[in-house]
Amino acid sequence: MPRNAVGREIPEEVGGKPLTPFQGAFATVPQGRKAAPPLKTIRPGEDKVLPSLEEAIRRVGLSDGMTISFHHSFRDGDLLVLRVVEACARMGIKDLRLFPTALFPCHEPLIRYIEEGVVTRIEGSMNGPVGAFVSRGGKLREPAVLRSHGGRWRAIECGEVHIDVAFIAAPTADTYGNANGMWGPNACGPISFSVPDSWYADHVVVVTDNLVPYPAIPAEIEQGYVDYVVTVDRVGDPGGIATGTLRITRSPTQLRIARLAADAVIAAGLVRDGMGFQAGAGGISLAATDFIAKEMARRGVKAAFAIGGVTMYLAEMLKEGLVGAILDGQAFDARAVEFLREHPRHVIITPGFYADYNSRGCATYMLDFAFLGGTEVDLEFNVNVNTHSDGQLLHGIGGHQDVASGAKVTVITIPTIRGRIPTIRESVTTVTTPGEVVDLIVTERGIAVNPRRPDLREDLRRAGLPVRTLEEMRAEAERLVGKAKRPVFGDEIVALIQWRDGTVIDVVRKVVGWE
Amino acid sequence: MELVREASCGSDERSDAWVSVRPADAISVHIASKTGPMYEDRIREVVEGTLRAMGVTGAEVKVREQGAYDHVIRARLLCALKRAGEDGEAFRRPMPIQVAREGTPKGRLRRSRLYVPGNNARVLAFVDVFGPDCVILDLEDSVPPAEKDAARFLVREILSSMDFGDTEIWVRINPLPRGGREDLEAVLLGRPHGICLPKAESPVEVAELAGFLYELEGRYGIPWLVWIMPIIESPKGVLAAPEIAKASERVVCLAFGAEDYTAEVGCERSWEALLWARSGIVAAAAAAGIQASDTVYPDIEDEEGLYEEAKRAKALGFDGKGAIHPLQIESIHRAFAPTPEELEWAKGVVAAAEEAERKGHGAVAYRGKMVDRPVVARAKRILEMARAMGMEVGDAA
Repeated sequence: MPRNAVGREIPEEVGGKPLTPFQGAFATVPQGRKAAPPLKTIRPGEDKVLPSLEEAIRRVGLSDGMTISFHHSFRDGDLLVLRVVEACARMGIKDLRLFPTALFPCHEPLIRYIEEGVVTRIEGSMNGPVGAFVSRGGKLREPAVLRSHGGRWRAIECGEVHIDVAFIAAPTADTYGNANGMWGPNACGPISFSVPDSWYADHVVVVTDNLVPYPAIPAEIEQGYVDYVVTVDRVGDPGGIATGTLRITRSPTQLRIARLAADAVIAAGLVRDGMGFQAGAGGISLAATDFIAKEMARRGVKAAFAIGGVTMYLAEMLKEGLVGAILDGQAFDARAVEFLREHPRHVIITPGFYADYNSRGCATYMLDFAFLGGTEVDLEFNVNVNTHSDGQLLHGIGGHQDVASGAKVTVITIPTIRGRIPTIRESVTTVTTPGEVVDLIVTERGIAVNPRRPDLREDLRRAGLPVRTLEEMRAEAERLVGKAKRPVFGDEIVALIQWRDGTVIDVVRKVVGWE
Repeated sequence: MELVREASCGSDERSDAWVSVRPADAISVHIASKTGPMYEDRIREVVEGTLRAMGVTGAEVKVREQGAYDHVIRARLLCALKRAGEDGEAFRRPMPIQVAREGTPKGRLRRSRLYVPGNNARVLAFVDVFGPDCVILDLEDSVPPAEKDAARFLVREILSSMDFGDTEIWVRINPLPRGGREDLEAVLLGRPHGICLPKAESPVEVAELAGFLYELEGRYGIPWLVWIMPIIESPKGVLAAPEIAKASERVVCLAFGAEDYTAEVGCERSWEALLWARSGIVAAAAAAGIQASDTVYPDIEDEEGLYEEAKRAKALGFDGKGAIHPLQIESIHRAFAPTPEELEWAKGVVAAAEEAERKGHGAVAYRGKMVDRPVVARAKRILEMARAMGMEVGDAA
């Protein structure tokens, strides 16, 4: 089996579809033209509002084998995916391909519909139980496909994934289909993940619980792309947005990592006027950002922009004048949603603006530094964000690949031990992001500098920061916890991990036993 | 040893293990591991190996663990066995030492001493990474009475299996009449560098502790003198500080504990109210030629307040300060760092002393002033501290 540029065996085809192995972060030169949706028209006075999801499903002609898409802006509070799949099941539709941006633990009931053959393929991030279920193998007709935010946009745009029906949960919409997530009783922040779905799908259904008089503004989703508008009692639960670690950590170990990460980018001279940065919503990233914010305030430095996932911490930085603008693709807490309404320089961006490989500019390419996480890293600086060391597929890619590719300095923050499991491996279980786009790996035991960045090594050394090798830190952690048994993988491929350009950087195989 | 009753030890907290044992005809081990199959075999080996070492031939053992390291599982098992059996002697046999450790110089850097609760596996899991000059594994105030035995085993296992690098490793025991002796018997097996004696009020206690240490060093084959750090935390202690400091050659540092002191005196926890106690402790330590370490700063959030207080402690003559959270270490080290002026002065004094020695002069002069021997020692100490902090010192000794 041929190996790709990070040494992973990639089959030439899966289920009759040829796979292109990953060649390098920027090796692919796109060819051809963009895909195109069908031409449609409407006459004045036509009514788009339908009484139920079932009616919309009938009108668009949703049938066996089709692809349906969703955004994940409600995160763990999403209600629409299950409602649509349940409706399809009731109507006898089967063999669906699900194309959400991401699934969360709240989607666990999907497992039943997979077992019943209603859903037979999934292309999208899977956080939690659905991913664990898929890992067990033999469940889906084809391997799941995981893409980054930018990668998903690209796949739609080039026609790699054709969406039959896009369902768009809209906290606010008008009868003509203009829609946004900023307003309404269940506002969730941007719903711009669905923008490419609205542009390219054959049929577009906006689902809302807050129908407002024309025009619903801003129109993140525009009327010209929308076929039908359906009202429901509740479109999603914003309480599910702020799940996981969206607070600054209190753990001494994590705070130490955050401190080192912040000190590293300060030592590299990146905290300066006009900088751009991205902070994830993990506890360590937030703490590192907080340390940076303090340093900025102390020195009177102002960032030009920050990219979200947006939390209240980032919102506060904008309010205090530490950040000139927030480019927001996703809200991570209620305060971020409020702030989007209040502040003119807190603006919504699409995944295309953010991260599309086949474009003439990504916001991530303007980043000076970014803090990202991972489940594992290895001695080649590769990062795994998808699987755990036991082989379970439990997380999506998010913007990881896109941000790492773009930022001048990509900082991975990771404790060397998580619940006894060592995170620095000789070789990661799954490569999500290749070492060639990773600059620093920061743990509680020190900072590893990618050998491609001797300049950074010098900056860190001069600042007296603890520069270590990954091998030293790996060995130290292993002395504490001992060697973990590794899973044995079979031949069956349960998921493909795409690089953002559409090539395959790794595959996830079914676990068949333990060494 | 034989088990006579059912007993358990530990918790379901992260990085901890809950272990139960009960008498049985043969050995059986049941494991529920947070990490699934990844460490199950290894945990079984640890359990069976420990049972063998303790001479247990019949026991039903249950382990429920949340990512606990080997030494935590071993500690919880040992404590459960002790609670289930009658034989105390089996627990005093030396265990194999798993990390190399050497004694430390009497006058080494002790800018920061970090207190860590001795029975908290979650906090202890990363205790080796924070880089204070001294770590103090605590058996006293942070451990509830019912868990003292569990903490002893945990601290002992951590001492014998974790490599602390350049950090000096201490144990704060309970007062000698209230469990301190049992603490010593258990933890000395792990070979710490020193013992903190809480609520020290008289030289007699210190001498008594020194006697115990002498005996246990012999019994357990510890090749260095185990140091003593009396903690002065009462008015009586402050008054006796000069004698306490000189009570044993093992005493290397007097530490101040302000919490109990303020309560007993009925004063505020302000700089002014504590100034006399601080000054007394510094003077007593200086008179005995040992170090003094200031009390902890209780507000973890207030980095600047800590830094300011540490600066004042340094100005008063303290050599270090206590920390109750790892994030306090940096502020403390920053405060105790020599200033550029101090550094320049120290370099000059040391150079002058070396020059005088080369020329065979008895007296040393620097910038037209006579310099006494203690002043030279202080200058050398500043250079040593600067070097330890990675500051540019040059080749002055």
